Amino acid sequence: MKSLIKLELARALRNRKFLFFSVMYPSLLFLIIAGNADSTTKVDGTGLTLPTYMMVSMASFGALTAVLMGNSERIAKERESGWVRQLRLTSLPGRGYVLAKTASAAVVSLPSIVIVFVVAAAVKDVRLDAWQWLALTGAIWAGSLVFAALGVALGYLASGDAVRPITMIVYFGMSMLGGLWMPSTTFPDWLQNIAKWLPTHAYADLGRAIEQSSAPQAQDLAVLVASFVLFAGGAAWLYRKDTLKA
Amino acid sequence: MAVMTTTSAQASTTGKTAATPAVRFDQVSKAYGEVRAVDGLTLALHPGETVALLGPNGAGKSTTLDLLLGLKQADSGTVSVFGTSPREAIVAGRVGAMLQSGGLMDEVTVAELVRLACALHPRPYRAADVLARAGLAQIADRKVNKLSGGQVQRVRFALATAGDSDLIVLDEPTTGMDVSARQSFWATMREQADAGRTVLFATHYLEEADAVADRVLVLHRGRLLADGTAAEIKAKAGARRISFDLADEIAGTDEAALRDLPFLTSLDVSGHTVRIQSSDADATVHALYGLGLYPRNLEVAGLGLEQAFVAITAAEEAKQK
Repeated sequence: MKSLIKLELARALRNRKFLFFSVMYPSLLFLIIAGNADSTTKVDGTGLTLPTYMMVSMASFGALTAVLMGNSERIAKERESGWVRQLRLTSLPGRGYVLAKTASAAVVSLPSIVIVFVVAAAVKDVRLDAWQWLALTGAIWAGSLVFAALGVALGYLASGDAVRPITMIVYFGMSMLGGLWMPSTTFPDWLQNIAKWLPTHAYADLGRAIEQSSAPQAQDLAVLVASFVLFAGGAAWLYRKDTLKA
Repeated sequence: MAVMTTTSAQASTTGKTAATPAVRFDQVSKAYGEVRAVDGLTLALHPGETVALLGPNGAGKSTTLDLLLGLKQADSGTVSVFGTSPREAIVAGRVGAMLQSGGLMDEVTVAELVRLACALHPRPYRAADVLARAGLAQIADRKVNKLSGGQVQRVRFALATAGDSDLIVLDEPTTGMDVSARQSFWATMREQADAGRTVLFATHYLEEADAVADRVLVLHRGRLLADGTAAEIKAKAGARRISFDLADEIAGTDEAALRDLPFLTSLDVSGHTVRIQSSDADATVHALYGLGLYPRNLEVAGLGLEQAFVAITAAEEAKQK
């Protein structure tokens, strides 16, 4: 299993397009959105400056990209090509494939989080306490597991040509409505009411709670836990269905 | 060649019947909706045998192999591999398999993929040896998605032989290979068989079954139609080809007499030449002389397995109607 993780990782690091979108793109987007913002004006109702606010959004977005895109499309493709079947003829345990995919995605998502932090601190003077940096990294990294599970579920749900559009819709929809690209406080009320139930919204909110040195909101935690249970359960169910069918 | 392998097969089957079979199917059925892909299949493969699984498209070959490898679950009946479940046998490293539908991980090199297969095998060989044996040493650094069809087959073969497995299962292994690649592939495969492994392969290339297998299983509509050596399968099809020339142009009365020859299964007359298929060539030829004819250039030859196979399948279909 370790050998499969290693090979998955080597492959991910070799794929420049994937690396650009998951590792560099969030930082670039951060610079575009927060680049001209001054570092004193606060985003409505948060007490955070725009760069500080967007730093968490973009770090979350980067982690989301790495784990969601890394899992869904590859799993769908490899299911179709028969690689998943071939692996079932080895001693690798059934879940090993999914775990290896998720582990290698998690390794790629970590630099995408850290690079956003470094850029934000260096270019936009975002300053936090040491415990906050560590807690942020840990929370965003751990939270990305929710979306890794979603990626696995999508990979087993859709196949072939369908997986990319479905993943894109979920990816952009969740990013935008969850307020990763622009503060959801700018949304009309009815949209805010929908947005606050999205796992992406809860995900970024969790990071901002750390920035505000406040306790995470119970609703955010509940949404994240419920989403994880839903996605992981769905992934497990779809995986088993696929195994019996193959 | 076929005769040689026949003798060794009989030796190994008679000598090892007491041992646990490498593969056992007991009344195994598998249906997809209305279609019974495998229908009450019962068979046993003995350690050391090289067995060909022969059948037309839709005969149930791939489903049989999927059941054998635990990729599909039987609706009824039991499948065991070395006395355990297929999955247990695979986890123990006793089975190496090459599937027609087995894709490869792309964007990695041949060597990386083979190293992975070795790492995943409980009783691995050295990756360098596996690459060399599969004839991949020269293209070890090439990306898997940049290979030709024949090269991909060799990579699949390398994955199936990454470790010291006791049973090797191959689903149409030489698809996409040219003639020389096919020959070198079977030479490699014979080394595997000579090392005492049980080899089971499904094939469309019927001459391969004839040349390589100790034993041939003919599958038709999910049932076992015939089980024997290639020679026995041919005999079972009743098939010998007799051809000769007659001095005179063949007239209607002669043709009627020829048609009445015993054991004749088909007759083809063109000009002076007569071609006959017979299920008992000796009796047919004897009766031919009895007609008072003087056949010249008489030839009696066995049918190729392909024709034998067509004959068995046709006979089975006729029986069902």
